[in-house]
Amino acid sequence: MTAPADTAARFVETRKFLDQITTRVGQVVVGQDIVVERILISLLTSGHLLLQGVPGLAKTLLVAAISKTVDLAFSRIQFTIDLLPSDIVGSEILDQKTNEFRIHRGPIFTNLLLADEINRAAPKVQSALLEAMQERRVTIGNDNFPLPAPFLVIATQNPVEQSGTFELPEAQLDRFMLLHRLEYLKPEDEIEVLRRNAKLGVRRDGKGAVARTEFDVLGEQEKGSVEQLVKAMEDVQEVHVSETFFEHCVEIVNRTRKHPSLELGCSPRAGISLVKASRARALIHGRDYVVPEDLFALAEDVILHRIRLSYEAVAEGHTSAQVLQEILNEVAK
Amino acid sequence: MMCRVRLVTLRALACIVLSAACLVAQESDDSHREATVGMRAKIMQLVVEGSELVPAPSTSESVLVVRVLATWPHGDHLRYDLEWVGFEEGTYDLTKFLVRKDGSSMDNLSPVEVNVLSVLPGDAFEPSELERSPATRLDGYTTTQIVTGVFWGVGLLSILFIGRKWKKKALPAPPKPTLADRLRPMVERVASGNADAAQKAELERLLVAFWRARLDLGSVRAMDAIVTIRNHKEAGALLRQVEAWLHAPEPPAKFDVAGLLRPYRAVTADSLAVTSAALGGGN
Repeated sequence: MTAPADTAARFVETRKFLDQITTRVGQVVVGQDIVVERILISLLTSGHLLLQGVPGLAKTLLVAAISKTVDLAFSRIQFTIDLLPSDIVGSEILDQKTNEFRIHRGPIFTNLLLADEINRAAPKVQSALLEAMQERRVTIGNDNFPLPAPFLVIATQNPVEQSGTFELPEAQLDRFMLLHRLEYLKPEDEIEVLRRNAKLGVRRDGKGAVARTEFDVLGEQEKGSVEQLVKAMEDVQEVHVSETFFEHCVEIVNRTRKHPSLELGCSPRAGISLVKASRARALIHGRDYVVPEDLFALAEDVILHRIRLSYEAVAEGHTSAQVLQEILNEVAK
Repeated sequence: MMCRVRLVTLRALACIVLSAACLVAQESDDSHREATVGMRAKIMQLVVEGSELVPAPSTSESVLVVRVLATWPHGDHLRYDLEWVGFEEGTYDLTKFLVRKDGSSMDNLSPVEVNVLSVLPGDAFEPSELERSPATRLDGYTTTQIVTGVFWGVGLLSILFIGRKWKKKALPAPPKPTLADRLRPMVERVASGNADAAQKAELERLLVAFWRARLDLGSVRAMDAIVTIRNHKEAGALLRQVEAWLHAPEPPAKFDVAGLLRPYRAVTADSLAVTSAALGGGN
């Protein structure tokens, strides 16, 4: 481990870089500080993120803002029922000039991939994406292609419209380090959104013009660099995790496996994700070590999509969130 | 004289005509005195002496059945149209299957033979005797219903109750150790330097629980409670010291663990009554 003085100095730079990202994104997106923090955690730990929320909560804008702010390559795929795996990973195409096959790389070859409404695609497409997420490489024809680094998938799903969707099974949900549930903005934040939107004006385009949107503002953002991001990712690995913290993690994970209302508890991957995400959160909050607050703050996003209620608990009207809160309360009671 | 001769002549002619008619009828009846088994045949205009004849009562064993189709007076006798059906091959006397209506004797009556022919070859075997099945039980319906109902009820109760885990009357659980009961020994153990990582983690959770109870945050979500405790002037300072001791890569120099935990040794089971002054003197 680096000496404490060096570590502190590096963290100061990284803190500055992370604060800049938060500030820049905050200029475009209002009232989503927690979501920005979660995206940064995902970015710093290369853990994929699933955002669940109704349409219109600026999910796409948020991800686009992050990618522009850090100068990352960004692709967006709108998942639909007729999407094919080759539409994501790419395919071999016959070049009629040379009569040879050439590789056409799909939109997955990017740094930041927004998979919009992932639950609308057929399971084989979801599976293709999730395999790429896990292995960070794709196979086209007979060749393997590594995905760019950093590579992060931020998927969204709408919890309301379930008709014509394919719910992600627990095994595939487990691939997402975090599942964050977006909520509506506070009234004061929503007023700020309206106020900013009212000032956007129009953008001239040749002889015509179109009304400016928040996406137009993104182009004017000052950009950070990938090198700074890589440095921040390295700094996350320097964040100290004590034995006591490991004990807390295992205690919570084990309680999910023993709770009578839960049919499926957390996998070991959940514990790993808790530690990884906690380290990134500690760095974002300016600490070089994790504390139980990180654990409790991230428990819902890390654990909730990895547990499944028993039939009896569902029949009694319990929810996964209630059970998790019960577990967390018991841990500190 | 002439008239008398004519009358005699007419009578003679009438007798001849009647006799001829009887012969014709006799000849025509002969053609119906044979029939195959089960087929109906008729004997028309048969003159039988004596009082009126009617069919004898038939049974299931009767080999031949006779019906009287019509009866006319014929001088002192009666003339009949008969229909008969034979059920077994053989030659039978129809008079054996008739009786006098007035019950008088049938003796001295000329036989009227009919021939029942078989269409089957001589070596054809007889069909098997029908076996009489016992009559269906008609009584005992109510009993059957009651027995069936009892079985159905027993089956239903078995499905409902057999194999069910009955809730046993819970024995009075031993009283849970209070927070103070759990906290004090853990504080002692950690302060003495004999605690492992699991026990230190347990102590940290108990300290959070202690402050949750003290700041009345029991009904608040765990995350919100921790944030409140960390932002609390008194509790936050103490909790951060514990965090720095337990989680920092290198705990602060000259860190007085015993001093930090000393106030918690005074926690009582009843009130978690620790004075602010005592807690403030941890470091």
